[in-house]
Amino acid sequence: MTDLSKIRNFSIIAHIDHGKSTLADRLLEECAAIDQREMEDQILDSMDLERERGITIKATAVQLTYQADDGEVYALNLIDTPGHVDFNYEVSRSLAACEGAVLVVDASQGVEAQTLANTFLATDAGLEVLPVINKIDLPSARPQEVKQEIEDIICVPAEDAPEISAKNGINIHSVLEMIVRDVPAPKGDRNAPLQALIFDSVYDSYRGVIVYTRIKEGTVRAGMDIKMMATGATYKVVEVGTMNPRGLTPRDALGAGEVGYITASIKTVADTQVGDTITSVENPATTPLPGYRPVQPMVFSGVYPADGAKYQDLREALEKLKLNDASFVYELESSIALGFGFRCGFLGLLHMEIIQERLEREYNLDLITTAPNVSYRVTKLDGTVLMVDNPLDYPDPMEIQLAEEPFVKVNLMAPQEYVGNIMDLATSRRGEFKDMVYLDANRVELHYEMPLNEIIYDFFDALKSRTRGYGSLDYELIGYRPSKLVKLDILLNGDIVDALSFILFADNAYPRARKICERLKENIPRAQFEIPVQAAIGGKIIARETIKALRKDVLAKCSVGDNTRKKKLLEKQKEGKKRMRTFGTVSVPSEAFMAVLKLDED
Amino acid sequence: MPLFAKKHKIPLGIYIHVPFCRSKCQYCDFYSVTEKNDRLLDGYQDAVCTHIKEAGILAPDYVVDTIYFGGGTPSFFGADGMAAILTTIRKSFKVSSSAEISFEANPDSVSDRLLRRLRSEGFNRVSLGIQCDDDNILKKIGRPHNYAQAVSAVNRIRRFGFKNLSLDLMYGLPGQSLQDWEKTLANVLKLQPEHISCYGLKVEEGTPLYEYREFCNLADDDTQADMYLSAIEILGRHGYRQYEISNFCRKGNVSRHNLKYWNGDPYLGFGPNASSDFGGQRFTIIRDLEGYIRNMKTGKPVLQDVQTIAPRERAGEYLMMRLRTVSGIDPKEYEKKYLLPFAPLERNLIQCKERGLATKTFDGRWHLTPNGFLLSNSIISDLLLIQEQN
Repeated sequence: MTDLSKIRNFSIIAHIDHGKSTLADRLLEECAAIDQREMEDQILDSMDLERERGITIKATAVQLTYQADDGEVYALNLIDTPGHVDFNYEVSRSLAACEGAVLVVDASQGVEAQTLANTFLATDAGLEVLPVINKIDLPSARPQEVKQEIEDIICVPAEDAPEISAKNGINIHSVLEMIVRDVPAPKGDRNAPLQALIFDSVYDSYRGVIVYTRIKEGTVRAGMDIKMMATGATYKVVEVGTMNPRGLTPRDALGAGEVGYITASIKTVADTQVGDTITSVENPATTPLPGYRPVQPMVFSGVYPADGAKYQDLREALEKLKLNDASFVYELESSIALGFGFRCGFLGLLHMEIIQERLEREYNLDLITTAPNVSYRVTKLDGTVLMVDNPLDYPDPMEIQLAEEPFVKVNLMAPQEYVGNIMDLATSRRGEFKDMVYLDANRVELHYEMPLNEIIYDFFDALKSRTRGYGSLDYELIGYRPSKLVKLDILLNGDIVDALSFILFADNAYPRARKICERLKENIPRAQFEIPVQAAIGGKIIARETIKALRKDVLAKCSVGDNTRKKKLLEKQKEGKKRMRTFGTVSVPSEAFMAVLKLDED
Repeated sequence: MPLFAKKHKIPLGIYIHVPFCRSKCQYCDFYSVTEKNDRLLDGYQDAVCTHIKEAGILAPDYVVDTIYFGGGTPSFFGADGMAAILTTIRKSFKVSSSAEISFEANPDSVSDRLLRRLRSEGFNRVSLGIQCDDDNILKKIGRPHNYAQAVSAVNRIRRFGFKNLSLDLMYGLPGQSLQDWEKTLANVLKLQPEHISCYGLKVEEGTPLYEYREFCNLADDDTQADMYLSAIEILGRHGYRQYEISNFCRKGNVSRHNLKYWNGDPYLGFGPNASSDFGGQRFTIIRDLEGYIRNMKTGKPVLQDVQTIAPRERAGEYLMMRLRTVSGIDPKEYEKKYLLPFAPLERNLIQCKERGLATKTFDGRWHLTPNGFLLSNSIISDLLLIQEQN
């Protein structure tokens, strides 16, 4: 076990795109942990998706061996954190495994909403926050001003912050020296009862779940019986070790202050919840580590195979994904329109997109997803309370005493010239203005309370476009509030298409209904007959469009010599019809569902 | 005649694909080459004749009652070659004395010599591609002739004694309006052909037209539909009865050869890219003139895509092909022939009837209406799907 004084546990925090993962790569390189050849850009972001989107989805950790200028060799444990507001809880648990956080701030962008939010998370966790000014090679870099911003806005000394370029490898050494000098060494009693914090886990088909953990107190070694304090599950430890850039290195034991992994033939990540405490069965700790919270999905959506026959494939894919992601939930649902599928719960919209994209890419599935919605709380006249996360389960309005929807506190940050735009946007999304704070001479933070439902679709994109990319956002759930809710149904040729129904704020129903009808009209192919597209609340039609009848779909010439080819055309057309979903008499291609989902992208 | 030959022979159609053209039309995706030299012409003729002789041995129980030279441009290939091929057919097969023997021709390549020769060889039907009466449009779509040449060709075809003339027309051509189309019909009616085919332009991928389709002022689907309905109305008024989606004739002068395709009767095709439906199998010859010549010479296979057609598939073809015709489909025949229920199809056809797309005749047959013909792909593919699911 490494001596406590020679361990530094730290995290890198930043706003999206400020260069967190690039800095991590340079640190790895500088410690000769991996050579240039092995560098696939941003090694910590191991999923293709993560690389493409430039965000970290899952936390990972790696141990670096660094010989500092003082001649001593240090074990530096870098714990990478997810970089999106959807994963705030996961971020907080990763931070709880560290003593310090390197705060990366873009030298031209300066402090942004997530810089602030992540710094608060880090200081809340009692971490030493060490600012680093990145991208100083950019012509628009203004390191001095940004340092001032950091001191003014987040009250962290930044005068001596290293000015670096992670991309070009400038001044990386000074970051490592800063970590050794300023991140406090961990504390802990290696003879105390075991308390190990789970900050992530991954499923490996050979070893079962690999738990990433920070030992807070005590020691864990192979052969020990351990217990998950929240779930109560017990296991016998198979192996412990540390994560090195080239893979897992088994060790005899992990002691307080160390960061490493544990395997124990655990079959599912659902048993190793992030934030849970591992203790010893023989000599258990009296209390778990603070801060554990069970996973709570915020956004729900129906996920169906585009080809109904692929239902089993979808089920298997979801089971496999779930092995590695305890934070999404799913259950069977069936729709008259779409057949069998699953209602899935996600941490947020990004999380939802990621899961859907992984299903399509890694499991080769074509999906139809229904509009995302939040979980509504409905009190019926007889006093029963329902949590409704599926529009199909929404009770008849006559039975409802009280309908409530979840609200969030939203912090919006942008240069002051965009305040007007932001206010317009927030107001149009039913935001209730709380206050506005000047962070410095030209930067403001606005606080709103608004329904979660209003930000799950496209709020972030709308904010970006109205602030030329400068606006940033952060939100947290504050509870349920009464609301005027209605269920909007869509009818094609007179029949309700259940998969297109959704719950929304009553005042938004008319414009939304009109837009949906327009979109469906554009995306449903003309048929042999005229198709009315209607939107209704209860039995009342509130919007209508008409898809004109198709007039011409004919093979004019089918004779001498080429009837075989023409016949294949008809066969193909027949096969195409198989892939469409038929609702009553109307065939709807899956693109139509997509178009309705992307309603707000204008 | 072989000793045990059947008394009642099965009628057979023969199609000869002549893959030579003076120039490629902008919209055409039929197989043809614009090269014309003795090696290719002779090689082609030899290959087709060898092929016909080989096939003739296999068909003692058939009597050929239609022969069709299509293309390409048979008239451009020339009378001598066509005569030689026809002679080979007569030698290798039993050809009925009343056989319909047609050839396709373009106005620019029907010389007096060609007409005289072919008439004397026994050709009795000409299908002349004139497309429209507007020289500007003809030029735009790459036709190698003008309308005056078409009129002259018609007169000479008559003069050499052809009593069965079909004119091919196209609508929906670049820059063509509904009025232009109606004028073409009026002019063509003056020529008094026995048969008229009206084909809506379809822009096929891989043709030159496909590349500039956006920029040549093509009629939209609604306009094409109007043109189609107007043709049916005008031709009907002048005594031309529609008997298939795109085909019209006077006094029963149907194309007996083409009816074979629509009725699912057997036919044999020769020449590159020609297809056959014979002995329960369907096969297509390779789409490569040089390869066809070479392989016929060396005894290598020339077929691609040989398929034995399962009864189930025949049932699908029955719907596909018969619903192109005005006589349509017969539920009793369908159930008897394919042992499949007609009721699920009828339910759909009743919906079509309610929409004015199909009609049931007094004797129980179903056929499409002009509006139904316009939507025939959509209707037939629905029926195929229903057929598959029952």
